[in-house]
Amino acid sequence: MSITIVKSGIQCSIQDLGRWGYQQYGVPVGGVMDRESAITANRLCGNTDGEAVLECTLHGTIITCDETITFALTGGGARATVNGCGVDYNKLIRMVAGSQLKLHPDPQGCRTYIAISGGLQVTNELGSASTYLPSGIGGIAGKNPEAGQQIPLKDAGRMQEWGRDIVIREDGFGVGNWKAQVEPWPHVNETVLIACESGPEWAWFDADSQLRFFEASFIIANHANRMGYRLEGTFLQLKEKRELLSTAVTAGIVQVTNEGHPIILMADAQTIGGYPRIARLTSKAISILAQCRPGVKARFSMNGFLS
Amino acid sequence: MRIYHISDQALTIAFSEVISETANQQVLQLHHRLQAAPFMGFIESAPAYSSLTVYFSAQTNKEEVTTQLNTLLSEFTEDETLETGEMRKHIVPVCYAGAYGADLQAVASATGLSIQEIIEIHTGMTFRVYMIGFVPGFAYMGILPPELEMPRRESPRLEVPGGSVAIAGRQTGIYPAVIPGGWHIIGRTPWRLFDKNAQPCSRLSAGDLVQFEAITTEAFEQLS
Repeated sequence: MSITIVKSGIQCSIQDLGRWGYQQYGVPVGGVMDRESAITANRLCGNTDGEAVLECTLHGTIITCDETITFALTGGGARATVNGCGVDYNKLIRMVAGSQLKLHPDPQGCRTYIAISGGLQVTNELGSASTYLPSGIGGIAGKNPEAGQQIPLKDAGRMQEWGRDIVIREDGFGVGNWKAQVEPWPHVNETVLIACESGPEWAWFDADSQLRFFEASFIIANHANRMGYRLEGTFLQLKEKRELLSTAVTAGIVQVTNEGHPIILMADAQTIGGYPRIARLTSKAISILAQCRPGVKARFSMNGFLS
Repeated sequence: MRIYHISDQALTIAFSEVISETANQQVLQLHHRLQAAPFMGFIESAPAYSSLTVYFSAQTNKEEVTTQLNTLLSEFTEDETLETGEMRKHIVPVCYAGAYGADLQAVASATGLSIQEIIEIHTGMTFRVYMIGFVPGFAYMGILPPELEMPRRESPRLEVPGGSVAIAGRQTGIYPAVIPGGWHIIGRTPWRLFDKNAQPCSRLSAGDLVQFEAITTEAFEQLS
């Protein structure tokens, strides 16, 4: 029993809640970019929160199955069809063997999470299924699934039971009645507010830069990937030239390069960094940012900054 | 000492703001104590040059974590600071010859030392592994004597071969895989520094001691 990735789309990656315990050896935590959506998808499917899911960036992914599967889509960045008919996100879906799930372009959000009831049968490496491409760890032999890749499924019993009450329509699929309640994701044309708190080197920045950090409207640059998002809009400067002794960084840290651009570190952030850290995002803000694509405008919000 | 959050789930304890062997010993002492007796909610700790970062589950009460850490830290005495424990020492074979030491000539010109003198300095001392980071398995070692101090290369290489032994500032390190890098390459080791299937996955750990041993091109090829 397995699913097949017919087309991987822009990026389709196997992720769980991260590879904890190996940062002392320089191994990044990684894992899903948007934790909230991944957890919601697993809960809809009756899986544990840490079950491996598919993280699909924007659209293009096509998946089929060789037996009836029960699954859920969460997050955003695409709209979905099964056998050509639109299906909702945040609901349980059941589709019969040979059906096709497809992700189409949509202006809201950036990453779709696909959880399958019972879970994907993938090998944990260093305690996690999360794919970390730079070192070839996790996923399918260290890589993302390519077109034609079969991924076996784990728990046949669970798959048969979960969502059994869903009525399968003539066109080979059915959708559950209830829906997980989630907030809408940022639209391409929206300005997103990113809640943050002061970073360890906040006081290193000059007063003007501290002010502009909150007043400026930034744009998420094209180099936004699983390691980090570069923001463009204004240049931030230190009061005086200072070198930071290399120290720990983690997802949500906003570091400022020598050129003055803020970079927000995301899931695949390296474990050690040497740039001054002006701010750090709240966990919730990291999930929201994971649903923002390049070109989206963002502003930092002082919300929680004074605590 | 400075204690601060880097995320909702991580606290950094900075013992110093510069590279110091004493601070790194304190970092490792706290790291080992936490491994031996983790507090409720503890996930992992990761050493850096002069700071340790402690990761804990989101459900953990942050004040409790701070209290626990302060209790552990208050138990540190002057004597214990100097406690070294069991330090592992590695003799790492390095071929400094020909293309393996691609930047040796440039380092010689910049420092006024001969290539032979550079190799003698590099193989003649014992280095401390301060931390592993940048990429999985990359060991930051020090401290190089001032006469070998070099700023980073003006333009980083897009691909540094795996196993390259390099220097920058007062540090020396080994690239575990083919990655971009701005350090000066002075040799190459046949050792594999990172292996996801090995236990532990990194050949070197923070706190280890390293001495480099010059080997010939033939020996390098045999060991590879």
